[in-house]
Amino acid sequence: MNLTATIGAAALLIALAASTVAVVASIYGQHAHSRLALMAGRRAILAASALTTVAIVALGYALLTNDFGIAHVASVSSEGMQARMKWASLYSGQPGSLLFWTWSMSMFMAAFVLITVPKIPWGAPHAIGTLGATLIAFLIALVFFASPFRLSPVTPEDGIGLNPLLVDPGMLIHPPFLLTGLVSTSIPFALGAAALMSGRLDQAWIRHARGWALASFLILSVGNFLGGWWAYTVLGWGGYWGWDPVENSAILPLLPMTAFLHALVVQERRGMLKLWNLVLVLAAFALAVFGTFNVRSGLVASVHSFAQSEVGPYFLVLVGITVLVSVVLLVWRLPRMHAEVEFESLASREAGLIMNTYVMIAMALVILGGTLFPVFSELVQNVRITVGPPFFNDVVGPLLIVLLFLTAAGTVLPWRKAASGTLARRFLFPAAVTLVAVMGLIAIGVRDAFALAGLAGAVAILAATAREYATGARALRAARGAPWPVAFGALFNRDPRKYGGYLVHIGVAVMAIAVIASTVYQEQTRALVRPGESFEASGYTMTFEGLEGRSPGVNGIEVEIVAVVRVERDGRLIGFMEPGRRFFANFPDQPAAMVAVEGNLRRDLYLFVQGWDAEQLTEIQAFMNPLIIWLWIGGGIFAAGGLLAFAPFKSRRAIEVDEAAPASGQPA
Amino acid sequence: MSLLTALSRPLMVVLVAAVATACLSVLAATTGSAQLPATEEQAIAIERQLLCPQCTNKRLDVCELAICYDMKQLIRERLEAGSTADDIILFFETRYGPQVRAELPREGFNLWLFGWVTGALALVALAGGWFLLSLRSRARPAPAATAPVDDDWLDAELRAAEERDA
Repeated sequence: MNLTATIGAAALLIALAASTVAVVASIYGQHAHSRLALMAGRRAILAASALTTVAIVALGYALLTNDFGIAHVASVSSEGMQARMKWASLYSGQPGSLLFWTWSMSMFMAAFVLITVPKIPWGAPHAIGTLGATLIAFLIALVFFASPFRLSPVTPEDGIGLNPLLVDPGMLIHPPFLLTGLVSTSIPFALGAAALMSGRLDQAWIRHARGWALASFLILSVGNFLGGWWAYTVLGWGGYWGWDPVENSAILPLLPMTAFLHALVVQERRGMLKLWNLVLVLAAFALAVFGTFNVRSGLVASVHSFAQSEVGPYFLVLVGITVLVSVVLLVWRLPRMHAEVEFESLASREAGLIMNTYVMIAMALVILGGTLFPVFSELVQNVRITVGPPFFNDVVGPLLIVLLFLTAAGTVLPWRKAASGTLARRFLFPAAVTLVAVMGLIAIGVRDAFALAGLAGAVAILAATAREYATGARALRAARGAPWPVAFGALFNRDPRKYGGYLVHIGVAVMAIAVIASTVYQEQTRALVRPGESFEASGYTMTFEGLEGRSPGVNGIEVEIVAVVRVERDGRLIGFMEPGRRFFANFPDQPAAMVAVEGNLRRDLYLFVQGWDAEQLTEIQAFMNPLIIWLWIGGGIFAAGGLLAFAPFKSRRAIEVDEAAPASGQPA
Repeated sequence: MSLLTALSRPLMVVLVAAVATACLSVLAATTGSAQLPATEEQAIAIERQLLCPQCTNKRLDVCELAICYDMKQLIRERLEAGSTADDIILFFETRYGPQVRAELPREGFNLWLFGWVTGALALVALAGGWFLLSLRSRARPAPAATAPVDDDWLDAELRAAEERDA
């Protein structure tokens, strides 16, 4: 008997039982008004999360101790792998990633039960019941369809090891962030469902959902972002986003979640959009489940797909149930959603926020259509087609540009209503800066209409946001007599949510500039060279000095062959680059690319080797990607802004106390 | 000139510098093009419109499989023999099926996808537009006194500052 596997499998089975208890106890507790039963429901969720922790620790232990008697361990790990790569192999493959997903979800649920549930007596049983049902759904998949603790028929000497593409430090962070981001949509979903079931449809659920939605948005964004960075530095095709069906699945829940974060402000402040906010959180969760289905079913061909398995149809049923239950709840409660219309003008921030949520939902709809269309094509007319990047760039690109301009406009527009004079004054600076930037761009030869419009939108956001920071800091400076930097810092202290949010917008604008520049102005060169020969790529002289072999001897890598390339510009040495290929003992026909990147603030030189022959006649591909480093910098700004927005609000009283001290000594 | 005074000079300098840097970087990035023979440039352009017939969603130009190597050779041979880009892409489409096209042709069954896109955009625009217009028609000029909102303080400070300016 394999003790680790037995403990793990038993923990999952008991967790399933505990989740069932949570559902039954909440329903009973609500009907019989039994505090005891409600408490039991809460504890059952905590117990289930402790048990899934036991399961994941058991699997981790099995991986670290090379317990190849467990089939999952034998298929994704091997003795020669570094400990950190063994950890990463935990969430590779079907059962492992499903266990990580469920564990991570249960951690969120435990935190939610401890932090938020005590504050929502009106909806606690409904929220607990929803969480329990969600856990049951995933634990059934883990226990019956894809158990990570299934035993190998024969215990092998050594495991197969991680798929070559995954042997990379990126594997340590991208999947955990993305999976955690996807599961975190379950918390706002549970709150929305609780609001619907309990009939408490006012602002109460929104107030509690905000923090969880922000966390979800942030983790999911970072997960997607890390995926792009990984693709760029590892896959060797010179890009970071390929509109692969699984990439699309990962970005789909992010769109309604982002829309929700914006729409909830309108409901909080103006009492509108009750139905819309519920639709958005329900859609985000349904799309997250759709994503797991899409990855696991092999329905749409993708570079990310796990092997096809019986769990696919099960998840399709789950998506169906989620959507059906959501629609039924919404229709049932529709008569009770009294819109408190406090609306004054279309030229207001609330109108801008509403419009931007529409653009995000339009983007989600077209991305969903493009992702699923190959399936329909094959089903209906039995023709395999590819909906590739050109389609998505054509339809999502313009929407993105609209979104950039709407973001800028929304930043400038005041709440409620803008007097026409105020409006002109507020728009003047961003509009002038944008106009100057466009003229400058045309002057230096940017002719591409898409690039011009997109860059103009990004500049508009930067200018509008800078103006907001400046007005805020000026007001604080006037009030406190503090110097500019202090006043600027005090803004974040005063309203972290608003000014952190603006920082996220700056990150988006910076990323947009990088995306546009690297999409429209990428240059590509290919050369077939012998050792000692040179070629020209984007103004650089590249000299191929020969192939070199190394054996790092870890992670199942048999040998790495690199092409040493000397890079010069106008006779000046820039450096040596070493693109190559990595060969694996267990996957002889699947060498992985080793990309070489030489970057600065203006451009990346990006080399990879496509192959060579016995005489070292080597094919080298060179990309010049303009401004791409700003994508990573923008991502950093985005994440920093998101983290700042988390900072707890200071109470008004605290602010008044805070204000009183310096203001008293301040000259009038 | 209230606008210029509103934003302090250091901030203006930073902003102008930021915009200028952005423009200059684009300038620097766009000058200097790859010196490739015309056919090579054309060949790469064609490769970018095709996908590897064996991998999933991998562009032909960045795929290193043997079959892709042969396809790339074939593209160059055909270009030299005088074929057009469309001919070459059509040739590979007949050979390997329509999934080797990176760009979805806007014809036949595929029009359903473009119909979906148009429909989705129209639906969002119409429903959203209708909602916003209905809001406007119900708009009330004088808002009921609501609970203080988080940036009332800023509005108050700004009003005070504007009065000082005026």
